[in-house]
Amino acid sequence: MFEIARYDGRHRLKGSLYLSIALSLLAVVVIWIYPSFSGSFEDVDEEFLQAYPEGVIQLFDIRTMASLEGFLAFELYIFGWTILLGLYLAYLAAGTIAGDVERGRMDILLSMPISRSRAVGEKFCSLAVPIVIVNVVTPVVVYVGAVMIDEPIPGADVVAVHALSIPYLFACAGIGLVASVAVDRASIAQRLALGVTFGLFMLESLLAGTDYEAIGAIAPMRYFDPNEILLDGTYDLVGAGVLVAMTVVLLVAAQLWFSRTDIE
Amino acid sequence: MAAIELEGVTKDYGEVLANDDVTFTVERGEIFGYLGPNGAGKTTTIRTLLGFLSPTEGSGRLLGHDITDEDDLIEAKRRLGYLPDDPAFDETATGREILELHASIKGDERSAELLELFDPPLDRTVREYSHGNVRKLGLVTTFMHDPDLVILDEPTSGLDPLMQQRFAEFVRSERDQGMTVFFSSHVLSEVRRLCDRVGIIRDGRLVTVEPVESLLDRSGKVVRLRAAEPIPTEALEIDGVHELETSLDPGEGESERDATTPATAFTECTLTFTGDVNALLDRLREYRLLDLSIEEAPLEDVFMRFYGGERSERKPTPAAKSVPSEASDDV
Repeated sequence: MFEIARYDGRHRLKGSLYLSIALSLLAVVVIWIYPSFSGSFEDVDEEFLQAYPEGVIQLFDIRTMASLEGFLAFELYIFGWTILLGLYLAYLAAGTIAGDVERGRMDILLSMPISRSRAVGEKFCSLAVPIVIVNVVTPVVVYVGAVMIDEPIPGADVVAVHALSIPYLFACAGIGLVASVAVDRASIAQRLALGVTFGLFMLESLLAGTDYEAIGAIAPMRYFDPNEILLDGTYDLVGAGVLVAMTVVLLVAAQLWFSRTDIE
Repeated sequence: MAAIELEGVTKDYGEVLANDDVTFTVERGEIFGYLGPNGAGKTTTIRTLLGFLSPTEGSGRLLGHDITDEDDLIEAKRRLGYLPDDPAFDETATGREILELHASIKGDERSAELLELFDPPLDRTVREYSHGNVRKLGLVTTFMHDPDLVILDEPTSGLDPLMQQRFAEFVRSERDQGMTVFFSSHVLSEVRRLCDRVGIIRDGRLVTVEPVESLLDRSGKVVRLRAAEPIPTEALEIDGVHELETSLDPGEGESERDATTPATAFTECTLTFTGDVNALLDRLREYRLLDLSIEEAPLEDVFMRFYGGERSERKPTPAAKSVPSEASDDV
């Protein structure tokens, strides 16, 4: 068991390290500009947030920029994690099955004594490598960076925001995985996954506070809120549970789907 | 228990009937060639056997396991090797990593020995492999767990002649050890060199399954002969002579006999012969021959018959162009 997950996981190590370095650099830049940013305004929220259109504030769920936590929540976590990483994981997952089928690699894999659902499951598991590595490397950089500019953030909150992003990223990967079995061309699956994931983000953000807010419940973004963790120090474990359940449903759906299709 | 059993397998894509009621059995320990031109439905049959496609109708068993039941088929796949027509591996991995993955899933009993025969550059990434090297790696992964049955889709395309020969020897020796080999091909010489039995598929329908010898017997022998002096054409008016083509060296003809014309005598001829070779030799005994060769007909001719090419239409008419009309009652 898990031979494919181990193999794929090993081949994801290098890319995951590069990804971690890139996001750590983003974290460093965000933290580094914060002192000069906050020093430029008497009252950041008063002056700065006024300048943003209301739609943008709502879209990115910007609560405050008057503290490093609020600044990070928007610049790094909402933008870098919820949007960029979420899209990236959906994209990565979308390439797995569809890419193997398109290139013909799936034929050799499935000629071995491996069920289709196992192939899907193990390929999905290998996505744990980028998800975990990026969430182990970056928090260290964020915590140390915050201390260095003399705006320390509680370590528990930094750990929590990264830990709770893990089920969120798996759920995004789940969306990509379903796209990957639904379409047998990798590039189409990837576009589909990006479109759906970004669409869900928009749906959740823009419907918030309207009569249709309930529809946003299908979006993983509803259940991962960096502001809440960093600003209020509250950890939404129920939300994390919903994300885990969402991931399982998407994974099982992908497995059932792939078990029933013809591989051309 | 047969290695492969297919019963009425049909794959209907709506516009195309890729396989139409395909039924055949491959016995254990034989080399079975699945022959047909590109697009005839060979790969569809193979993909159905492997459970990649579910048949619209019909059923099949692989090493006794139901091909439409995934769990059951997995049992068969423990003893199966498969080489697709265009094998593809993870391009970022080295050949060695690929072999390690395969070994971890299905075991490795003989990769060392196989790597001496087919030697892909293991330390390079697959991205750097030539077409032939990918295929060599594929041959190693196909046979490394010492399977009972191997299914090979166009196995030798992309291999150089030396490798093709090695492959042929290897497959024959594996067959002698009890392995069953099922391979598809559109290369006739390959089928003839390797197979015990042949199934021929055309437009999704299985046209015939028979031992390769009987196909060759039916197709007859190609006879070429050259004589010092003209031989009267009627000497060859015996059963089993087809497609007679003659020529007469005019110089010799004139000096010897005035009556000889290219229509009544010849000094050189080729013909296809499906009768008793001794009868033919009896007829030729009284003439002084410079050269005589009797060879198996090229399988292309056999093949043509099943594809309704010109040749098969001409077959029933025994006489070829240069034979006078009186000779046409010889079948």
